[in-house]
Amino acid sequence: MNVLEIKKVSKYYGQFNALSDVSFNISQGDFVGLLGVNGAGKTTLISSIAGINSFTGQIKVMGHDVITDVVRAKRNLGVVPQELAYDPFLTVYQTLKFQAGLYGVRHDKKWLDEVIEGMHLTDKIDTNTRGLSGGMKRRLMVAQALVHRPPVIILDEPTAGVDVEIRKSLWKFIKTLHNAGHTILLTTHYLEEVEQVCNKIVMIDKGRILAQSSTADLMKQAHDLPTTVRIETMGGNFAPGLKDKVLNQDGNVFTLRLNNSDELLLILNTLKQANVNFGDININRPSLEDVFINCLHHGIGSGS
Amino acid sequence: MLPFIELVKKEIYRFMSIWVQTIFGPVTTAVLYQLIFGEKLSLISTGIPGVAYATFLIPGLIMMQVLLNAFGNGSSSLIQSKYTGNIIFILMAPISPLAIYMAFLVSSIVRGIVVGVAVTIGIAAFGIALPKAIFALLYFLIFGAAITGGLGLIAGILSEKFDQLAGFQSFVIVPLIYLAGIFFNPHSFSGIWQVLAMLDPFLYIVDGFRYGFIAHADYNIGFGAFFVGVCAISVNLVGYWLIKRGIRIKK
Repeated sequence: MNVLEIKKVSKYYGQFNALSDVSFNISQGDFVGLLGVNGAGKTTLISSIAGINSFTGQIKVMGHDVITDVVRAKRNLGVVPQELAYDPFLTVYQTLKFQAGLYGVRHDKKWLDEVIEGMHLTDKIDTNTRGLSGGMKRRLMVAQALVHRPPVIILDEPTAGVDVEIRKSLWKFIKTLHNAGHTILLTTHYLEEVEQVCNKIVMIDKGRILAQSSTADLMKQAHDLPTTVRIETMGGNFAPGLKDKVLNQDGNVFTLRLNNSDELLLILNTLKQANVNFGDININRPSLEDVFINCLHHGIGSGS
Repeated sequence: MLPFIELVKKEIYRFMSIWVQTIFGPVTTAVLYQLIFGEKLSLISTGIPGVAYATFLIPGLIMMQVLLNAFGNGSSSLIQSKYTGNIIFILMAPISPLAIYMAFLVSSIVRGIVVGVAVTIGIAAFGIALPKAIFALLYFLIFGAAITGGLGLIAGILSEKFDQLAGFQSFVIVPLIYLAGIFFNPHSFSGIWQVLAMLDPFLYIVDGFRYGFIAHADYNIGFGAFFVGVCAISVNLVGYWLIKRGIRIKK
């Protein structure tokens, strides 16, 4: 079943085309990474799904149109907006109780406590939101999106401004939610984590869909990208025999194509014979980040 | 219905949590007005048999604070929500625009009434008349607060900065209140000012509310009730239309 259907969604801000004919579906249980550079249209798309943007086209959440059946669509949706927002008149607990009320759920203390604990806010429940750090405010916003146990959860950069330790536990909590049956769509700039947890990836650029596929298929493209070795020499001439392997040179840092592991030995030997002294050496396996950058520059499906 | 009730509760909690500013402030202002005008001008004849100047003035001072505070509630709540960004939580929630609008309007009217009661208690010692026409008093209290409450919401929706809101208050609300015959019967105005005063719905609100206390009206109370009712409905239809269209709230 499609829990989220996005059909031919376009959005203009005056002359600026923020979204252009965006279509994709998300199935029950998907964990989707929505990737794009800043200004690609991710937040505009999320705002459209959340019902705070006008747009042309159609969006359905659990089968409910976000324009014509807005109340039911919104009930099935929990959105964490990107911009930090908080009500300075309320404490953490009051914020969550109020949020539950807005969604028409009588407050379920057990679930609230679970969410508060998951967001590491237990010792802050009676603190006024003004007294929270940026990372705590972000976690409170995640908690707010969860109070009504929505089947579909959308997180717009949930880990922005959150320290490493909390970021890890936040991902863990999001994974727990996914395991509990929630469908998740998120944007983030931490592609390593996307590669690990998302089963589907949608890439957008300049308001258009650049790629949408399973993470596994996209990572197959990564296998087509070359593994590289990055060698920092101590200066002097580089081995002439390796010239055709060099993909990139930045000062005395050389990036070489590495077709297989045997080649590494060959490269090192060649360097030794040419009397090139080197300091640092790094092997780089192509990651989602490389696929993403490759897609941005060359379009989907192209090799290097 | 629950989201509506929660929003009303939260809005009431908001102004009650800063009661020194939202309730005690207006009481202080009203008492100062009473001390300066009511006491110093106590020898002035109101032209109404058996009604001393203080008795004439007090209902006007109460209504002045009701109108100002009903305006201030929705306008400051909305602009603060826009400023801190938390309006997004209301916009994303499964609440109809009508419920959102009505929740803000109801809490503005409640703020007006709470302030009205507080001012009445604070000022009563100076010689208040016991209400003689309670229905008229309540009608003009509620519809008066509904007009400025609605204007406050409109101003809050349309303003993007605090100074725009202050401008709306200085150039629209305050002049309308000062032309409303709080201190003197506006018959004493001359020329264009009298015409303007006659078009001011606040004039009929103050007159009707005062009628509730002293059972004497300077204008036709039936016409006043009708005009105030029409203004309250019109203002709030405009406010609701703005919220529904999401003007300056949604992108």
